[in-house]
Amino acid sequence: MSEYAHPDMLVDAQWLLDHQDDPNVRIVESNEDILLYDTGHIRNAVHIDWRADLQDDEIRDYISPEAFAALCSRHGITSDTTCVFYGDKSNWWAAYALWVFHLYGHTNTRLLNGGRDKWIADGRELTRDVPSFTASDYPVPPRRYDDDIRAFFDDTLQHSQSSKPLIDVRSPGEFKGEITHMPEYPQEGVLRGGHVPGANSVPWKMAANDDGTFKSAGELQQIYTDQCGLQQDDDIIAYCRIGERSSHTWFVLKYLLGYEKVRNYDGSWTEWGNRVRAPIEKGEG
Amino acid sequence: MALPQKLESIIALFESLPDAGKRENLIAFSDNAVKWEPQEGDVFEIEDVRKDEECTDTVGVFMQVDETGGCQFKMTLGPQVQTLTKAMTAILCKGLQGSLPQEILDLPSDFVPRIVGAELVRQRSQTTYYILTRMKSVAKVYLNRSHQASDVS
Repeated sequence: MSEYAHPDMLVDAQWLLDHQDDPNVRIVESNEDILLYDTGHIRNAVHIDWRADLQDDEIRDYISPEAFAALCSRHGITSDTTCVFYGDKSNWWAAYALWVFHLYGHTNTRLLNGGRDKWIADGRELTRDVPSFTASDYPVPPRRYDDDIRAFFDDTLQHSQSSKPLIDVRSPGEFKGEITHMPEYPQEGVLRGGHVPGANSVPWKMAANDDGTFKSAGELQQIYTDQCGLQQDDDIIAYCRIGERSSHTWFVLKYLLGYEKVRNYDGSWTEWGNRVRAPIEKGEG
Repeated sequence: MALPQKLESIIALFESLPDAGKRENLIAFSDNAVKWEPQEGDVFEIEDVRKDEECTDTVGVFMQVDETGGCQFKMTLGPQVQTLTKAMTAILCKGLQGSLPQEILDLPSDFVPRIVGAELVRQRSQTTYYILTRMKSVAKVYLNRSHQASDVS
């Protein structure tokens, strides 16, 4: 892991075991399976649900800074706490939750390499005991850092029109417009299939090994730098269907490869594919 | 329409619980999903094993019909099936034990939020309704076959 641009952003199981009782560390589980945490989790891990806890469905946005402060306070997280995220599905939702924490300026975060599945595959213990931490007094973030790491429709359209790097991390079938959802998943309300004009197809899975861990720095450079042609000073936007798989790629580009300007378009294909007059391309691209 | 008595009992249990209790019971039911797997020697009228887009893994539905015409369901779930789907499997296999195929087909789905709570339904609607849809599908196949057989005879 030491060859990554920011190796400190990634921890392994031993690190987590060594810090499981560290009061300055909070372990956070975020999953796609909404009840998975309740079936067993890493000891002292708290549960943050990507939808119920982090999203404001009434305006399709993230919770207010006040609500974020309340969420952190409830879990005993202070502004100095190191939050270590892990979850199912190769850490898609863990990376997403980590990205959302960064939106509020809480960047003291880590990702558990391999996530929940590797923890279990390695024979490590889970518990059903839900930890209880003394509530903290998390300060309300003065602002959200949307401009730095989040892209909106207009940003992405501008990127497309000016031929700046756009990374579509969905499956090849979704990119080509043959399907409007990822394989094995239900259709979730997208009218059109295809991709943002000019986008490069680099499925998120290319960055991960079969056990859910990230590929080596050299392998990642080969994919994103050599094959995809991304330059260090590029202004990069990644997107998928609802922003979770692209959070995974955002993490890879920003923290494992060290690209400075990377944004996640969380509106992603569920916004673009349905948007009136949004141009699309089909096929290989 | 009156719901099957066993299903009503399960609904009553969940409705009496606060949200945390509902989750605990959903986990308990999901733990029990394995008890509804087919056993060696079981014989079924209908077997329907498939992977649908609506679910993250393969689900098998196996239906027996006893001498009174009542259904007994057994299910197989792939390892990637979500916890809520496992819970609904155990709830419905237990709650619909002994129901007639036509009763299952006629069953309205609006009881599901009474079990899992409106919030989980809102967040994971396809997951919560999937197993019921599969059971209804099997009941319909059984009834179609029965009607065809009676038409021939």
